[in-house]
Amino acid sequence: MVTHTGRAGAPGAAGRLTPDAAARGSARRLNEPRPALVETGVGGAPLRVNRREVALLREEWRVVDRWWTEEPLSRCYFELVLESGENVVVFRDQELGSWFTQRA
Amino acid sequence: MIACIVIPGFELRAALREQPARALQPAALAPEPGREPLLGPVTAAAEDAGVRPGMRLSEALATCPSLVLVETDPATVELEWEKLLRRLEDVGFAVEPVEPGCLYFETAGVERLYGGVEPALKRALAAVGPAWDARAGAAERRFAALAAASVARPGQGLIVSDRPAREFLAPLPLSLLPLERERYEQLEELGVRRIGQLAGLPGGAVAERLGPDGRRAWSLARGEDENGAVRPRRPVERVAERLEFPEAVANEVTLRRGLAVLVERLLARDERAGRPPRKLALTARLVGGGSWRRTVTLREPTAELPRLRAAVAPKLAELPAPVTSLRLELVELADSVGHQLELVAEGAERAGRLREGLRQVRASIGAGGVSTLVEVSPWSRIPDARALLVPRDD
Repeated sequence: MVTHTGRAGAPGAAGRLTPDAAARGSARRLNEPRPALVETGVGGAPLRVNRREVALLREEWRVVDRWWTEEPLSRCYFELVLESGENVVVFRDQELGSWFTQRA
Repeated sequence: MIACIVIPGFELRAALREQPARALQPAALAPEPGREPLLGPVTAAAEDAGVRPGMRLSEALATCPSLVLVETDPATVELEWEKLLRRLEDVGFAVEPVEPGCLYFETAGVERLYGGVEPALKRALAAVGPAWDARAGAAERRFAALAAASVARPGQGLIVSDRPAREFLAPLPLSLLPLERERYEQLEELGVRRIGQLAGLPGGAVAERLGPDGRRAWSLARGEDENGAVRPRRPVERVAERLEFPEAVANEVTLRRGLAVLVERLLARDERAGRPPRKLALTARLVGGGSWRRTVTLREPTAELPRLRAAVAPKLAELPAPVTSLRLELVELADSVGHQLELVAEGAERAGRLREGLRQVRASIGAGGVSTLVEVSPWSRIPDARALLVPRDD
């Protein structure tokens, strides 16, 4: 079992935001990814998200974009149902090797 | 304890009050015009012939060619239901009607009057009357009371008191749970046929497969009913005006004129005591038998004739057939008799308040504290690229 933690503010090009961006009056993205603590199984699928057990893996998809730019984006998304019944979406940023949660 | 009274097929029973002989024949409530052709409740004779409620009309007629279709009669249903509620209220039960054929009441207020829960249920069933084949159930929670009433025999009261609700519910059929038809089918395909089987499944898996309704049904199956206390209705004085047409009328202009007369007459009634109507019901008796009913709840109670006409008249366009009579009823009146007018237009005041609120947020959080949501590429596969928050400093 492997544990990964995302680093704040660095989920690929789409989420690149400096903390004082809002203070400067510039626009910022809605639904920014948030770092997550994810434990995965042998196949790479999440088993625990933020220390909560995963009950079910609903869907999994991959987004590869902006590969022609300086800031390519490559994410593996997982839509999960936790034991509590809560639906969550997490992704692994392939460029950074970190995990994030996000509303899809 | 919470008690529940259930009358299966109330709409059909009400529609057959005038023709009791039909109740002994294979008969079913016809689908409403314009809706999916699915049967409503059916008589015992129809059930013996293989016809089931919710069956497709074509399938039912193929199964039982002698099946008689009874026209829906919402006006009679409403009338009979109201009479039944009043009979219960007259003997001391503060009832909360859910829909025609299902109501709840608290037994706490009447237990001492009648000498316990069981005599109270008997009294309630007697007040309903033997003709309706009512069943009663009582339990600590609403769903358990409903389930008990649903499995009781006609005229019987079933009390769930000496064992946990979950244990009582476990062997009961899944159809008692408030789920859509497809959900039952999904569960049956999975081999889940009893409430106890559903309660034994993990909550996360049920929520995933059946959605929020499934999750709620799962909680109910486990005896966890969050919908607690009974909220009895406030008995109201029904005020109504009726207009009989000498012949069937389909012309909307005539109907609108008739409605205007009814509104005028209704507003002139003393029982209103100056209070403006909040909710009205328009009922029509249709030329081919059966009836039609629509209710209108006003956004703001008013006793102004043009506004009432404008609120109710559009419903006339939904009439499925020519009518022989039109009836307008005051279902609910507002508590106040006056209406305070505004000195300043509502919109301007709201905008001013909003500006002031935003100014205060900016002052406490600083620049960038208030933003506008701007959609940039809502179709994007990247969730955080779909919209931007643009700070507003105006």
